[in-house]
Amino acid sequence: MKKLVFAAVTVVILGFLAISIFPFFWMVVTSVKPSSEIFGANAFRVIAENPTLSNYTTVMFEKNMLRAIGNSMVVSSITMLYVVIIASMSAYIISRFSFKGKNLLMGFILSVSMFPQMIIVGPVFNMFHNFDMLNSYWVVLPYATITLPIAVWIMVTHFKRIPLSVEEAAQIDGCSVWRTLWQIIFPLAAPGVFTTAIMTFIAAWNEFLLASTLNVNIRFHTVPVAINSLRTQFAILWGEITAAAVVVIIPTLLIVLLFQKQIISGIVSGAVKE
Amino acid sequence: MIKRITFKQFLFILPLLLILAVFSVFPILSSFVYTAFDYRPTDPTRASLFLSESFNSGGFHEDGFFLTFFLGDVAFEVPTDEGAAEVAAIQQYVDDFIVRFYGEDVRRITNSEIAEINEFIDSLDVRLTAFYVRYSDTEFFRKDDTFTLIESMRRRFIEPNFIGLENYRSLIQDSRFLSALRITLTFTFISVFFELVLGMALALIMNRAIRGIGIVRTVALIPWAIPTAVAALMWSYLYDGSSGIVAHIFSQVGLIESPQTMLLTASGAMASAILADVWKTTPYMALLLLSGLQIIDSGLYESAAIDGSGRIKTFTKITLPLMKSSILVALLFRMLDAFRVYDLIAVLTGGGPGGATETLSIYAHRLMIGMNDFGYGSTVVIAMFVCVAIIAFFFVKVLGAEIFKNE
Repeated sequence: MKKLVFAAVTVVILGFLAISIFPFFWMVVTSVKPSSEIFGANAFRVIAENPTLSNYTTVMFEKNMLRAIGNSMVVSSITMLYVVIIASMSAYIISRFSFKGKNLLMGFILSVSMFPQMIIVGPVFNMFHNFDMLNSYWVVLPYATITLPIAVWIMVTHFKRIPLSVEEAAQIDGCSVWRTLWQIIFPLAAPGVFTTAIMTFIAAWNEFLLASTLNVNIRFHTVPVAINSLRTQFAILWGEITAAAVVVIIPTLLIVLLFQKQIISGIVSGAVKE
Repeated sequence: MIKRITFKQFLFILPLLLILAVFSVFPILSSFVYTAFDYRPTDPTRASLFLSESFNSGGFHEDGFFLTFFLGDVAFEVPTDEGAAEVAAIQQYVDDFIVRFYGEDVRRITNSEIAEINEFIDSLDVRLTAFYVRYSDTEFFRKDDTFTLIESMRRRFIEPNFIGLENYRSLIQDSRFLSALRITLTFTFISVFFELVLGMALALIMNRAIRGIGIVRTVALIPWAIPTAVAALMWSYLYDGSSGIVAHIFSQVGLIESPQTMLLTASGAMASAILADVWKTTPYMALLLLSGLQIIDSGLYESAAIDGSGRIKTFTKITLPLMKSSILVALLFRMLDAFRVYDLIAVLTGGGPGGATETLSIYAHRLMIGMNDFGYGSTVVIAMFVCVAIIAFFFVKVLGAEIFKNE
């Protein structure tokens, strides 16, 4: 009986691993094939007869992918930076002070993270049009609706774990609220800050709806938008698309491998009450 | 000791409040307002929210200006001095009237102004027609243009585009909306169901202390972490009718008739979208459930084992009841996420074939950004908003999901 269960579990685990990884594996397989081997008889061969790296050089240098990666870096980093700052400031007050409407505020923050983002698209599009902000890095501002609620939520959870006595001592020594936050609480909550930063970065990096609606100009395409514009109406160049997919998945892979602990903590504290 | 907030500390949450006000509250309220109008930003007569009769004064002035300009040509062609003087008089008449609209944009207008402007246009029309009749022997090069401009002047009035609840009435009669709603619900329920069952199985496995379980956790994060748009594009290749390997395998084992079935038939496209979503979010679901599993005291399992409780009984009597709250929260989050699905469908099927996978988000986006119909598009979005509120209310009030603890 025990052996049987063990065998079943092993099969399930191996199956899960295989299914999870297979799409990436196949992307790599296709990305090194010349287009003659992607269609027709050789389409399902695992090893290319005439492997080539031309798909990679084409998407990186001719099809705007390098610029898109740069744009995504800029947009995600700015979002991460300002969201972490704003979220720390508010989470500090929420976790340390009492005020009227606090539960209302928390409830509102939570519902912002749950409502369909489509509801802000029309008005924000108009706003960006009126202030001439379409096709620019200003897109980072509406990204706050996706990232800020979760960031505040995670930060509050972590700030609450820091004992009050720490900052009471600081205040007795005459430390201002501002300095208490940045010099005492912030470093102590470093793991939470880190988790928030990574979750925000990933959310901004993956954003598609606002990026594709507000930044139509190819110069401001982010990675998810740029990779989709590789698909033209007349021809689908799978070789280039898979090469681009491999390239843009690598940063994600690195982040996951390096920061998996923080990510798991972020997923859990973002969704489950403390 | 929790202290009361002072003004100085209030400044700390001000940035958060400002950002939420500008990019969440204001857009939500705007969307609500849009639903009461026939609002199409690129159509000049419906480009804004006009509660009352408005007038495009700038455009009117422009028409008048070009009219006097063309009348200059007419004056040149008219054979007699008397006629030239008549044209000059008309020019002066137009000039005198339009000057007050100089430099203006679209603005509100009163009834008396409407009457005055109409009177001006009518008398201008009469004078000009009489003039052309008098000189009917002469061919005036600009004759038609002058009348076109007078017609254009008449169209510078903007009817109010406030339509009250009209958009909502259209909504409940709109079969495309109802079909999008049905498709969205189908997608939501089927994919979340599979994610819950598979995620639970995965969580139970990950909860066991087996060697190498760390690898499973790392791998589980990858589908979750990659951009949905990129994942959808990947799957659209795997499903492709001629070179997609998943479509090829499915048709080889007899699951589907031909590889083309996956993306080119209605049910195939729906199944494709659901499968891709399950692939991407099951691991996330598993991690959420795993955190709930880990809270359960292992002593409970030990005493159950001592009492001779079997695996299945332990699962249904101990694990499930204790996990109720994490399951509900995970379900709620995933349902709301699946309900607003946009990226996956937009990239994988674009709502096709023939609208078979057109979800509410896709339909709303197409109305607003594609067809420039912000009024009706917002109405669809508001309907989504209401559905989301109903789902959340059901989970929190009826099933008792504790999303957050009151202090």
